[in-house]
Amino acid sequence: MRGFFSRHWYAYAMVLPAVIVTGVLVVLPLLQGAYYSFTNINESNIANPVLDRPASYEFTGLDNYANVLSGDASYGSFWDILLRTLIWTFACVGLHFVIGLALALLLNRPMRGRGVYRVLLILPWAVPAFISAFAWKYMFNAQYGIINQVLRALGLPDPVWLGQSDLALIAVILVNVWLGVPFMMMTLLGGLQSISGSLYEAAEIDGATPWQKFRNVTMPGLRSVSSTVILLGTIWTFNMFAVVYLITGINPNTRLLITYAFERFFNGASRDYAIASTYGVLILSVLLVFASVYRRALRRQGEVW
Amino acid sequence: MAEVAYVNASRVYPGSPPVRAVDELKLDVADGEFLVLVGPSGSGKSTALRMLAGLEDVDEGAIEIGGKDVTNVPPKGRDIAMVFQSYALYPHMTVGENMGFALKLRGVSKPDIKAKVAEAAKMLDLEKYLDRKPKALSGGQRQRVAMGRAIVREPSVFLMDEPLSNLDAKLRVETRANIAALQRRLGTTTIYVTHDQVEAMTMGHRVAVLKDGLLQQCDTPRALYETPANAFVAAFIGSPGMNLKTVPLTAAGAQLDGLEVPLPRTTLDKVGADGLKEVTFGVRPESLGLVGAGEDGMELTVELVEELGADAYVYGSVRIADQPERFIVRVDGRTPPALGQTVRVGLRDHSEIHLFNPETGARIEG
Repeated sequence: MRGFFSRHWYAYAMVLPAVIVTGVLVVLPLLQGAYYSFTNINESNIANPVLDRPASYEFTGLDNYANVLSGDASYGSFWDILLRTLIWTFACVGLHFVIGLALALLLNRPMRGRGVYRVLLILPWAVPAFISAFAWKYMFNAQYGIINQVLRALGLPDPVWLGQSDLALIAVILVNVWLGVPFMMMTLLGGLQSISGSLYEAAEIDGATPWQKFRNVTMPGLRSVSSTVILLGTIWTFNMFAVVYLITGINPNTRLLITYAFERFFNGASRDYAIASTYGVLILSVLLVFASVYRRALRRQGEVW
Repeated sequence: MAEVAYVNASRVYPGSPPVRAVDELKLDVADGEFLVLVGPSGSGKSTALRMLAGLEDVDEGAIEIGGKDVTNVPPKGRDIAMVFQSYALYPHMTVGENMGFALKLRGVSKPDIKAKVAEAAKMLDLEKYLDRKPKALSGGQRQRVAMGRAIVREPSVFLMDEPLSNLDAKLRVETRANIAALQRRLGTTTIYVTHDQVEAMTMGHRVAVLKDGLLQQCDTPRALYETPANAFVAAFIGSPGMNLKTVPLTAAGAQLDGLEVPLPRTTLDKVGADGLKEVTFGVRPESLGLVGAGEDGMELTVELVEELGADAYVYGSVRIADQPERFIVRVDGRTPPALGQTVRVGLRDHSEIHLFNPETGARIEG
């Protein structure tokens, strides 16, 4: 044992900073959040050094989970929000993937100015998300926004995009798709370029139509790349806070699990840390379940991953 | 099964000047023939094959398969099967699925596909591997799967693009024989591309030698070896290569150091008519041999001896017109000369020489 450490001390020294940072920034808050979800902690019973008030919250067992999972409106109608979050996630990831793949296929062909198109299409990704979010927010403005100006000029109805209706959800989905497509496009383009050209030639000689080549060469060739980016995209989108919150603020029609946890934590009469933590733990559980089911499904298809 | 014809077919890549990758290729391949296209890299042999496959455009001329002009027919309408250098097996399909894919696309029923795949697998000794993915196979097995994929289709022409170049030397020799035997058995017209002249000589009924997109000569392996049409073919075919030296002419023949090789009257007349003072003189290593001190010969200083067991190749230099010229001589493997030794080298037979025009490289018949 002593020999082991004296031999590998250098490696341990090197990983130590990363372990400490991860521990402090990820593991500790996670454990703390998990603990709070079993209490009734809120603004009025948390320890407050300014008021010189000791903590008076109590352990309440699984009450928070029971309340949240009951779907009661006073606890945020969990199932309704979960449904909206799933719609949001699958709409966004689906569109990301389809549009990203289509663009990648176009950019993978030899054509003039390919480099310029690539740079232009990556731009949305290079711009900080909050800048894009605010730009879109102004474009969606019902009165002055460019979108409605165009619609009016064309004689089409000009709806209130970011009001309290499902249009707001559609609007944020549009923005998130615009933001997320470049990443999909770049990774899928990389995947496309790793597919050997001779496979397409073999398929051509075997008599495959363009669609059959896509089905039998392109899609299987992209499988390992696409399964990874779909999993990552799903996790990121499920937890996408910035775009939704910056564009629509607190709006029940765009309320997702993650924004509701934030809302519950920072807004409301009594900042309900306990329920916010409960939502946090539930989000984590949903994603863990999704990731393990997804991986098992991939493994059944014979993907080594 | 079908005959194949290149009718002055060219492939021209745009540029300044345009690159004529294949230049007015004119070649007729008989039904059931095994034709090998051979040449150094950049000679256009692969391009010529891909033109026949329909993977490369034909810019001038035409290509015919079975007497039908297929110049503008897409690959799938040409009834061909191709074996790629990289094998191009579909990585997500099993061996069986790979072999049956073309039939599946054609809408052949499942039991029929299964029967045909099983038949081809039996022929290639692949029955045990039908459910494996290509990843789990060795190089030689993958090569056989690529062959199997071509066989299952029962095409009228097989196209093979350097199918053995990813195998190790021993397996290559073995597979070479197997492919030749398989082709004989199936009797399918086959066009085979390789850069390896040994493969070309051992496999083909006829061999077409290409250089810079131009067909140099197309003939049986023996004819190529014995009567190369020009100096390039002479140097390319045979291993080690033919000794080719440009030497001065005398009244009676060609002058090589102490060795004057007499040439027939007719040849000398022909050379004289062309006004040549020199000829490119070619002699294969096995046509040279060690001779005794009294006989006609050249003094060769031994620089390298390659012992191959049965034979040994002696690399050495001879002074011709005060310039050292390298020669390769095949000698008996049991008694090779030592390094640095000077030996006397003579011609085995005065008929075993080749003469070429030093400017054009064309063969001078004699």
